[in-house]
Amino acid sequence: MKKLAIRYLPIALIILFWEFASRAGLVSQDVLPAFSAVMVRLWELSAGGEMLVHVSASLLRISSGLGLGIIVGSALGFLLAASITAQRLIQPTLTFLYPLPKSALIPVIIIWLGFGNSAQIMVIFLGSLLPIVLGAYNGAKGVENTLVWSARSLGANAIETEYQVIIRAALPDLLAGIRVALALSFVLLISSEMVGAQQGMGFLVAFLGDGGDYAGMFAGAFVISAIGFAADRAYLALYHHLLRYREA
Amino acid sequence: MTNTKIKFENVEFTYIPPSGRPVRALERLSLDVAENEFVSIVGPSGCGKSTLLYLLGGFLPLEHGEITVDGRKVSKPGPDRGIVFQHFALFPWKTVRQNVLYGLERKKMDAAQRDELAQKYIDLVKLTGFEDSWPAQLSGGMKQRVAIARTLVTDPDVLLMDEPFGALDAQTRGILQEELLAIWGLTRKTVLFVTHDVHEAVLLSDRVIVMSARPGRIKSTVNIDLPRPRNSEVTRSQNFASYCDEIWGLVREEALVASGIKT
Amino acid sequence: MVAQRKILNILMGAILPLAVIVLWEVATRERLVSPFLLPPFSRVMVRLWQDIVSGEIFSLAGQTFLRLAISYSVAVVVGVTLGIMMARVRFVRWVLDPVISIGLPTPKIAFLPIFILWFGVFDTPKIVMAIVACIFPLIAGTWSGTQGVDKYLVWSAQNLGATRRELLLHVIFPAALPQILTAMQVALPIAFIVVIVTEMLSGGSGLGGSMIEGARLADTARVFENLIVIGLMGFAFLRALQILRRRILAWHPEVLQEKN
Repeated sequence: MKKLAIRYLPIALIILFWEFASRAGLVSQDVLPAFSAVMVRLWELSAGGEMLVHVSASLLRISSGLGLGIIVGSALGFLLAASITAQRLIQPTLTFLYPLPKSALIPVIIIWLGFGNSAQIMVIFLGSLLPIVLGAYNGAKGVENTLVWSARSLGANAIETEYQVIIRAALPDLLAGIRVALALSFVLLISSEMVGAQQGMGFLVAFLGDGGDYAGMFAGAFVISAIGFAADRAYLALYHHLLRYREA
Repeated sequence: MTNTKIKFENVEFTYIPPSGRPVRALERLSLDVAENEFVSIVGPSGCGKSTLLYLLGGFLPLEHGEITVDGRKVSKPGPDRGIVFQHFALFPWKTVRQNVLYGLERKKMDAAQRDELAQKYIDLVKLTGFEDSWPAQLSGGMKQRVAIARTLVTDPDVLLMDEPFGALDAQTRGILQEELLAIWGLTRKTVLFVTHDVHEAVLLSDRVIVMSARPGRIKSTVNIDLPRPRNSEVTRSQNFASYCDEIWGLVREEALVASGIKT
Repeated sequence: MVAQRKILNILMGAILPLAVIVLWEVATRERLVSPFLLPPFSRVMVRLWQDIVSGEIFSLAGQTFLRLAISYSVAVVVGVTLGIMMARVRFVRWVLDPVISIGLPTPKIAFLPIFILWFGVFDTPKIVMAIVACIFPLIAGTWSGTQGVDKYLVWSAQNLGATRRELLLHVIFPAALPQILTAMQVALPIAFIVVIVTEMLSGGSGLGGSMIEGARLADTARVFENLIVIGLMGFAFLRALQILRRRILAWHPEVLQEKN
């Protein structure tokens, strides 16, 4: 506990300095609202229920988009690893598409699907797909042949082998791919909500900023950071739980 | 009596692991090594024999006692005490030649002289033709040859060797032992050689120090009175076998203590 | 035999993109899809050709490239320096460690409106945003690279007479290089994503700005044209980094094994 306090002391000092700089007038309140003012706005926005509406809209989008990405991406990745022909057909295209900055898809999706939920879900789905495909593919490809053989020799049929051995052994790479996709999903969620949406955290922050409510804008940015941070930590906990057999 | 080259006086060292209790590695250890002498240190695992070398190398802080080389106190690492590690520790981003040149580049010397000297030592360890190879392209034995050349080229006063052949296969080890004997015959450096291979210690040394289980102290000293120059022929002699037996018996006792079977 | 195999692989890899293009062209020509949703591939290509001839596309791509190049180079230089300072200076480590542990996993893009408030709507907020977004993996990667340096390598250098400065330059930095390059490969797509988004959000043209304008004006061909150019740029940049990595790490087993 004490260790944690010392570790995060610099953060506390930065916040203190911020509060001081703003209150003492070193910087204008219009440029940097005081930390306490941001906290007050955070409370108001939360108590009024406004924050909850936007947070839940964002969470719905990211969970649907990323969820779809995980299902389709891992299926595609395993398929690719299982078939040489599929690899030869698909891999060059994937290699080419992988470095495309996924935010460039936002305008295309807006044309196709407009400004509703489905547009953001689609952007997140497409953006998260490739890291997951690659994770599943690398993991399944890297499975040692001896593992597969020993499962077969113990009497597992092909489908059982696929499930028992390959998916389990591919898990570390797959989970690492999903972590990359999770971070990417947040960036795409917030970006696409800023570009075109009537709801969601990205929309809220941009909207408050346009309206001159800078304390509210800071509050919104902190809520997004907190959610992103919490999601990553929660995922990391799940990751270690699923891979706990490796740490023994 | 010849000159004392290296002197350990009442040296103590306590190792503090990142988590867990401090471990007393060395206790009141004193040892003299004479000029041009080849001394090996053997003992059970964890008896602090490598720690002794690292203290002499100046890599670990000495907390109690004193270590001197030619009467000068050791306080930090320096090229006067060249060291060869078990796992070679070559710079992987430098070629064989660049590795050998590294120590020379830290000295004031003109480039042509440097290159000539480096080539001489690369030839000495029989790596002619591999000058521009990366360490990752070499076998373990070749890597250790580079490490030996890199250390010898700077002409250190004393040579410290930390289980230098411990990571090599048996054949390679045998070859390198003989070559070390030959090189030592040419340079006659003062050598402090740590090993857990009793056979190796007897083959190479003038004197073998047996250390006790932790905390490390000197249990006994055995003078190896075998004729020089030596090569692997010497291992067939009756004397060689009895030296090995004697030292092995001493080490075995300590290994049993260390493993908690006997106190 | 090997050459034939290679050609076969390239041909098989080309099947999917060619099929997509043919399907795209046929479906749009036959009016199965509205040209507003998807203009024919040929029309997108003609558009691209016109803009190449007029130089328009180079001016757009140039703006985007400049923003990306400036923000990415600043992030690499500052990030690697901070990462190495974290390894060497206790105070820097004390301040940055919690900042990194919180900042790395958070979506920095949320702070874009704040940067627009601070730096206006021109190049500065875009560049600052991209730096902030991609510098965390660079600092963290460099720092963790310096952590794993084999102590025997450090000792060897000290033993051969290296000073503190030489130790940093000759041992710690090269030992951290594989991880620094990995961090650079992670950071580049992040910077690119962010530059495109900021162009969409706060004007200032560039490929991102042109795309969003195309979407507003229902000029779908322009959106696809820009998308293709952005895709090519992304591919080219990552490829360039891969080649750089192979050059710099010529000594590394990962590269030496590949050669064999």
